[in-house]
This record gives sequence, C-alpha cells and structure tokens, in this order.
Amino acid sequence: MAAQQKLRGRQAHTPGPTFLSYTPNGRKLITVGLDNPIRVFSSGSDAEPVNIDDCMDSNTAIVATNTFFVSGSEDGTVYKYSLETNSQDTLLTRCSAVRDLALSPDGNWVAVASDDLVVKVVNTQDMNRVLYLRDQPKAAKHVAFDHSGTYLAVSCTDGRIYIYSLSSEEPELVKTVDGMIKSLEPDSEASSKVLWHPDGRAFATPTATRDIQVMSRSDWQRQRAFKTGHTGDISAAAWSPNGAFLATTAADQKLCLWDTKTQALIKTYEDVRATILALVWHPTENILSYTTSDGELYIHTNFVPTEHTKLLENALQSAPFIHDPLDETSGNAQRKLVNGAKNTLVMREAREGTPDSVDDILGLDAMSDIEGDDFVVDDDGAGYADVVNGLGKRTNGHLDSISGTSKRRAYGSHSFQPQIHESFQPGSTPWQGNRRYLCLNLTGFVWTVSQETHHTVTVEFYDREAHRDFHFTDPFLYDKACLNDNGTLFSSQPSGKSPAMIYYRPHETWTTRTDWRTQLPVGESVNAVALSESYVVVTTSANYVRVFTLFGVPFRVYRQKSSPTVTCAAWRDYVLTIGNGPVGGDGTCRLLYTIENVKRDEVCQSEDVVALTPGAQLQSVFFSDNGDPHIYDSRGVLLTLLHWRTPSQARWVPLLDTRLLSRLASGTKQESYWPVAVAQNKFHCIILKGADKNPYFPRSILSEFEFQIPVSGPPSGKGEGDDGEVEREQSDQQRIEEVFVRSSVMHALQSDTISVTRATPSQRHALAALEGNVNKSLLQLLALECLAGEEHGMKALEIVGLLRDDGSGKILGMAEKVADRYHMDVLREKIRELAERRLVGLDVDDELE
Amino acid sequence: MELVTVIPRQRLEGLNLLGGPTPALTPPHRATLPLWLALLLKRQRRANISPPPWLHPTSLSAILTFETDHAGAAFSPPPRLPPGTTSSPPFLPSSTVDAAADALPYHWLELGEILLEAAPDDFEDPDAVRRLMRDLRECRMAKLRAGVEVLEAGGGFKMNGIGGMEVSEGRAFIGGVIDGLRKIGASREQQRRDKEREERENGYTATAGDDYDDDEMDM
Repeated sequence: MAAQQKLRGRQAHTPGPTFLSYTPNGRKLITVGLDNPIRVFSSGSDAEPVNIDDCMDSNTAIVATNTFFVSGSEDGTVYKYSLETNSQDTLLTRCSAVRDLALSPDGNWVAVASDDLVVKVVNTQDMNRVLYLRDQPKAAKHVAFDHSGTYLAVSCTDGRIYIYSLSSEEPELVKTVDGMIKSLEPDSEASSKVLWHPDGRAFATPTATRDIQVMSRSDWQRQRAFKTGHTGDISAAAWSPNGAFLATTAADQKLCLWDTKTQALIKTYEDVRATILALVWHPTENILSYTTSDGELYIHTNFVPTEHTKLLENALQSAPFIHDPLDETSGNAQRKLVNGAKNTLVMREAREGTPDSVDDILGLDAMSDIEGDDFVVDDDGAGYADVVNGLGKRTNGHLDSISGTSKRRAYGSHSFQPQIHESFQPGSTPWQGNRRYLCLNLTGFVWTVSQETHHTVTVEFYDREAHRDFHFTDPFLYDKACLNDNGTLFSSQPSGKSPAMIYYRPHETWTTRTDWRTQLPVGESVNAVALSESYVVVTTSANYVRVFTLFGVPFRVYRQKSSPTVTCAAWRDYVLTIGNGPVGGDGTCRLLYTIENVKRDEVCQSEDVVALTPGAQLQSVFFSDNGDPHIYDSRGVLLTLLHWRTPSQARWVPLLDTRLLSRLASGTKQESYWPVAVAQNKFHCIILKGADKNPYFPRSILSEFEFQIPVSGPPSGKGEGDDGEVEREQSDQQRIEEVFVRSSVMHALQSDTISVTRATPSQRHALAALEGNVNKSLLQLLALECLAGEEHGMKALEIVGLLRDDGSGKILGMAEKVADRYHMDVLREKIRELAERRLVGLDVDDELE
Repeated sequence: MELVTVIPRQRLEGLNLLGGPTPALTPPHRATLPLWLALLLKRQRRANISPPPWLHPTSLSAILTFETDHAGAAFSPPPRLPPGTTSSPPFLPSSTVDAAADALPYHWLELGEILLEAAPDDFEDPDAVRRLMRDLRECRMAKLRAGVEVLEAGGGFKMNGIGGMEVSEGRAFIGGVIDGLRKIGASREQQRRDKEREERENGYTATAGDDYDDDEMDM
C-alpha cells in the first residue's frame, strides 16, 4: 500500500452541518448541507461533483440507494431524488424539522425522525403508504433499521431507545431500552444513534459516559463496551461493512478506529479541524468519508492501517458478545449441530468458497448497474449490507439453527456422522449476558456473574434459617455446581496449564469447615457433576466416572460403557449416569443409562435405554425426594423409572405431559416449563413465558403441578344440553381412570422403596393410603358402571377383579355392597363367587392354568 | 376460615390448631395456611404469601372489563363450586393459588386489602392491583346503589356474586332506604285501614270489599 496521501478537505457546502451517504455500490457519494445544491461525487475521481440545484436549503439527513436518494430538510420536507436524471423526483412526506432518515435494506421504506412525536415510515414507491410509530413520548432524534429490515430502532430525545418490529402489518413496540443513551436536544451535535452491527445480533449506541455500549438483540443484555476515552460527546460512529472495525468521533475532534473483537484502539486521527457530524465507510474499499460542521467533505483513503487491512477483507465478523451464544461450548449451551454448520456465520463463509456461487458468477459488486433497482441501502452509518450478503437477502444470523438443516446436509455430505447428545449439567442455564445459574433446585440456587477476569459466585437458600447465603470471588471460573443440604460442589474446566478441578464446600460442620479441592488428571475435562448425601460423582471427557466421598477420598473410578457421557445424577448411594449409545434409525444416538449402588458395588440397571421420542432431547435428570429417577424431555414430558432397583425390570412411565395441562387448554398461552425437581409427589418447575428457554434474573418463583398421567385425551368438543350431561360423566370417568393409573404407579414406586429400606411408619401409612386410593378409584369406576346399566356388567366384574385385596375379603365385600345398591343381583352373585375363589386361593395368577 | 398459600422461608413443624392440623412447612414447598397464621409468619419474615390468581392485575382488569362492559347491571359471577362439595363460599378455600382466576370470591375485598397491606412486596405490581381493586369496588358499589331504585315493597334486586364486605357496606344505606320506604308505606297503609274502618262503621260495607273479592276470584 502506498503511503497515506495527504488528506484534503473538499469544500462541499457553506460552513454548517453537512451530511453524506454512499450508494450501496459505492460508486457515488452524496452530500447535503446548509446551501442548496446537493452534490453527487463519483468515487475515485477528482472531477467536480454533479450539482442538483432544485432542492430545499439546510438539509439535515440523506439516505441513498443505487438509483435514488432521499433527503430531509429543516423545513420538514422529505424529497426523493433520482440518481439517473440527477433531479428532484417526488415529495415523500411533510412534517416538522427532519432530524434523521433511515432506509430499509430493500429500499422500499424510509423512516423519518422529526420534531413530531410520531415517527413516520413512508414507502418510497407509494407515498400514501405510511406506518406511524407513536409509542415514544418525545421527539425522535435518530432512526435505524437493522440489517434484515425487521426492526427499527428509534432513539428518542427522552433518553430511551424504542425498538419496533415492522414484520407485522401494524408496527409493534418490542422493547424500550432505558439507560443506554443520553437524553439529548433534537438539534444537538451529539449522537444517540443506534448502530446495528452487520451480523444482526447486536447493536451499539453511544452512552452518556461517552462510551459505545453493545447490546444483544435476542435477550437485550448489555454486552461488551468500547471505552472510547473521548473528551467530548460522541457525534458519529460507524461499524465497518463487515463489522470488524468501529470508527468513532466526538466533539473533541478526534477520530478513532477500534477493533471489534478486542475493543482495542487501533489508531487515533487528530488532524480533524471541525466536529465530524457524519461518517460512512465505503461499502467495499478501505475508505472512510466524513463531513464536518464546517461544510467540508473528507474522503479518507487507506483509513485502516495496512497491518489491519486483512481484517477488513474478512467475511462478516461477529458482534462483541461477552459470551457469544454461537461460540458457547460449555455445559448445556445451545446444542451444536454435528452434521450441519456449527454456526450460521461460518456457514455463510463456506458458501462463498463454492465454485458456482452466485457471488462468483455475478461478482461481489455486480449489483451496481446490472441489477441496481431496489438494492440494499443502509445509511445508518453502520456499514453496508451488500458486503455482508451479496444478494441483499438478510443473513440468517438471527435464526436459531434448526436440526432440519443438519439432516439435509447429512445426506449430501460424504461421511456420515451420528448426532450425539451434548453433555449438560442438570439444573443449570447457559450464559445470558454475563450471568448464569449453575444450579437451581429445591435447596437453593447457585449463580455466577462474569467479571472479565474472574467470576463472582453467589449461593442462596430457600431455607433462610437453616443455611446462610454466601458468595465468593472465583478465580477458577467454576462452570458447574451442585447444591444440597450438606454442601456445595463446584467444578472448573482445565485452562492453560491448570487441570480441571473439583471443589466441595460443606455448609456447616461441628468441626472447622473442611472444604477440599481435587485436580483431575491433565487433559481431562468435567462433563457433569452430581452430589448426593454421601458421594460426589464426576463424569469426565475421558469417559471416567469418578466417585469421591464427601471428604474427598477417591472411592471408585470406572469407565462409563456408553460414551460420550451426557450427564449424571446421584441420590444417597445410587449413581445414575447417562451416555450416548448406539445410533438409532434417525441418525441420533440412543441415550443409555446405568444406575448403580456404589456403596455395595451393585449394578441396578446396566446400559438400558432412556426412552425418548424421536427428535426429543433430554432436558433434565434428577432424583425425586423419594429417590426415584426422573427425566424431563424437550417435549415437556416428565417420566419416572418404575422398578429400577431390579435389573432389567425398569420401565419409563410418564407422570405429566405439560402440553396437556389445563392451563394451556385455551391455546392462547404460550409458555414452557423449566424443570427443577420432583418432591412430595409434585412437579416443581419455573414457568417461562413466550419463547424463553431458560430462567433469568430476577429469579422467578417456583410453580408446582400435580402429576397427571396422559391416559386419555380431553373430552371431545363442548356439548350443549343433554350432551353436556353425558360428557360430564365421561370426563368424570376419565378423571377416575387417571387417578387409578396414577395411584397404581405411585403405589408401585412406594412399595419398591419400602421393600429395600427400613420403612418408617409414615411411609407404611402412605403406602396403605395409596392402596386405598387405588381401591377407592376402582370402586368409583364400579359405581359408574353399575349406574350405566345391566349391560355393563361384564366390565363391572372386570373392574372388581382389579381390586387389591389384602386377603380379608373386605374390599370385595364393599364391591358387593355397591352392586347391591344398584340392584345388580347377578353381578353381586358373581362378586361373591370371586370372593370365595380368592379365599380358597383359586384365583391366583397362573400362566399354566 | 380463609386459607392462603404461603412460600415458607423457614422450616416449621405442623401445628395442631383448633381448626385442624397445619401442614409442616419446608421451604420452598408451598403450603396452605389459615390467613391469620400466614400474616403472622409474613410479619415475622418467615414466609412469603403468594397472592391468589384473581388478585393478579390481568385477571382483575379482565373482571373489571366484564363488570363495566358486559355484565350490565349484574355483578360478575362468583367462583364456580367444585363438583360434589357441600360447603358454601365462605368456607371454601377461595384465596389459595389454586383458586379460579376469573371470579371474585366472597371475601375478595377484605382479602385483597389485607394482603395488599401485609404483603405488598409479594405482589408483582401492588399499585396496579390497588388501583384495579378501587375501580372494581367503585364500579360495583355504583351498581349496588343503582339497584336501590327498584327496591320497593315487592321489588327485588339480584345480588349474585356480591362480596361479604360489599353487603355490609351497602347494608346501612339499603337498610335505611327500605326502612324509609316501609315507613312511607306504613303511613299509607294506616290511612287505608283507617278509611276502611270508617267506611265499615258508616255502613258502606258492600262495594269496595266485594269488588276486591271478585278480582281475587277472577285471578
């Protein structure tokens, strides 16, 4: 590169506020200012600009496409000018003094910020089509379309940003962001403009402290900030077209260039003679042009220093997130697609390299004259979308990757790779902003805040009396935690030279507290940890299951048979580990679980299948307070494991299908349930509204749901008159049937538990109560059948056969009484016969009979 | 006995109270306790009260729109009784978290006021709830007063869905009106009787009485 040529200002307008815009193809540069000719410069030529004379004075904003441009003036008119004829075309709208304009990426809509309270969005083809955005209480100072054209950010003079979604017919306010921008006068030189990052997932604004703060669009969390160090208010800023750089300038007459990735200052230019009011990057070349308050235009070639120009040629760079959701590798982050693209940005890069890509055929800037009709224009100063995506289509960075993509790719790709289930830590959430929950259960919750170099971990309890909340500074960056009544377990990943570490901290002891740390062998990272009342369990990337006692004595180490490991859970002496097993028909791995009693060294279930429906993912695994394993899948079904202590007898039984909850029956609510625990025969969860996937701060309260086994569908339709009566009976019967199945399951769970433990009287009492429930529901069913008439006698007798009798014949006696009450004499006789057969032991289950 | 749902912050064994045993409290499991005990625990910061669903701003505003726009002169209906119950509204748990969200129970005004005073921090938006409660109360009191217009000797006014406190509030006013009407009616009655007696004494027994009897026969 040649040495930087002398920067020469061009007197574009009379001294005063001057603004500029490039056409998206970068061929023309248009400036507006106080005096009336609008000047159209041609890029790369020193020739005199073309003047457009028939226009208003004191223009304050300009946006351009390849074929036309739109300018707004202090007198409140917004005119459209043709670039082909270089003349005034039509009046688009009229309002009070125009402050800013923004053009949607497809060039069809222009948003007008004026001193009116309403922001108008006018169609550039048909000025009668106008959308009105009315939610801001004061005048708007800036407007900015995001790169998909779906969102419009309005920086209001009240110091808030109003973000509208324009995807629907009627614009809708999606978010009000408070505390990001400064409250400014409408005509002040300082800027509060929203700068959408070209990757579409974040935007940045100048703040009151003269920094540039980035905020993500998905969860409205503050991300990294550029500490600009300007001594005056920031008057303009812009992302480079690929988002790799940020240029800022302020009233202190300095022009700074920043690296997006590291937020480091690359270069400061101090040869600025007046405050820069607008700056734009050339869409493709290393040129930054700006206009000052003196009416001068500067075209700054080779703006990015030579050693950094490589970055400028790179593909789209991602916005500076603190924890980029796409780069997330730890724990239960967004699931990565194994076969498909890892993330959308990379996918786009790959496409550029394919031999017959459209870009190759047409060339990167082929759209300049060939198809320069309604091409992408973006005048928010944040960079140009056409470099981002050669076809003017919006990038799919804002979409979640869907597994469908991966499947399609799997067929086309040369080598088949099975889809494995990512490992996760039950009860934790991924990073949202700089916070995440490490563990959330019925004892309390552990959360951590990222502070750049270290984390701060806070442990809070529900029971304020029994435990005291604590928090500490964490230099090891713990990323997994478990919490129970005895203590807290943390684990950190290996970083640099230091290996992965386990840290256990008991809450209270009768001696001094004996917390301990253990380091794992080098190269082994922690996949999941679990903490029971007597053991600490760690599953690692080397497929080892490591069991420690509560005082750090290594107790057992064994290799997990199914790999890679997914997660683990523990309750007393029992350890449940889950791993990826053989590949199923749909290309995903079947999950296999193993339950063993580590104290007695007995395997209860060995490599049995975790029954999930196709496409469903495991969301959480935990033991209930009674010690029964439960899983919750991504379809919202809670399942428990019946007879899990007897080898190969285990069975997954659904306890609750949250999609069938009555609160969702109206169909208007959209909510999901984030599993926390099962205790006291209830499902404890956090209700998440809308499309939220994980709970966030402040901590939402726990909700509890009774179990409801999906036995039968809801009664069909709404009946009127006589039908209503029949339906009520039907739903009554369904309800009782569900009670019967549920109490049978609970009875089976409880009797299993009692058979292996020394049962307390209350447990035995609960078991008897459950048996009573089973019999009661059966007797109710019997009564319903008797009521239905003589012809239901067979079914009634069958129900009687299901009654659980303790041998005394008391229950059958009650059934007899029921039959008697409805005057079913035949049935009564049959029941008596049955009772007699049972009494002499004839009615036993015998397959040989 | 009004029951409310609390989220305890401390353990507490079950208590054997006159009204029956209370459940053992283990945080963070919800438990249903008598109102007085819940308020006591709340004051001692040992528990948080979770307000019943009908005290949520969205349900209150839905009820308010129903009252103002759809119900006409009637009140919004009381919560539906669960099937197969024998007890009536004041003795049903209508203020726990499982209560219906779309109906005001019998003690809505008292409970709302008490909970707002004792546990405003457990509400999401106590001010909105307060405002909506006020709106609802005024709207319903207006209906109650409007109903007085039809209250004459044989008049009737449907008060389904009205709360206990509202009855008490209206009692003095309605009672006064009815009593006044009765007094007016009583003097008129007295006059009529006097007149009849005079007529009887004067010997015109036939006409008036006969006509009256005939009318009754026709009916």
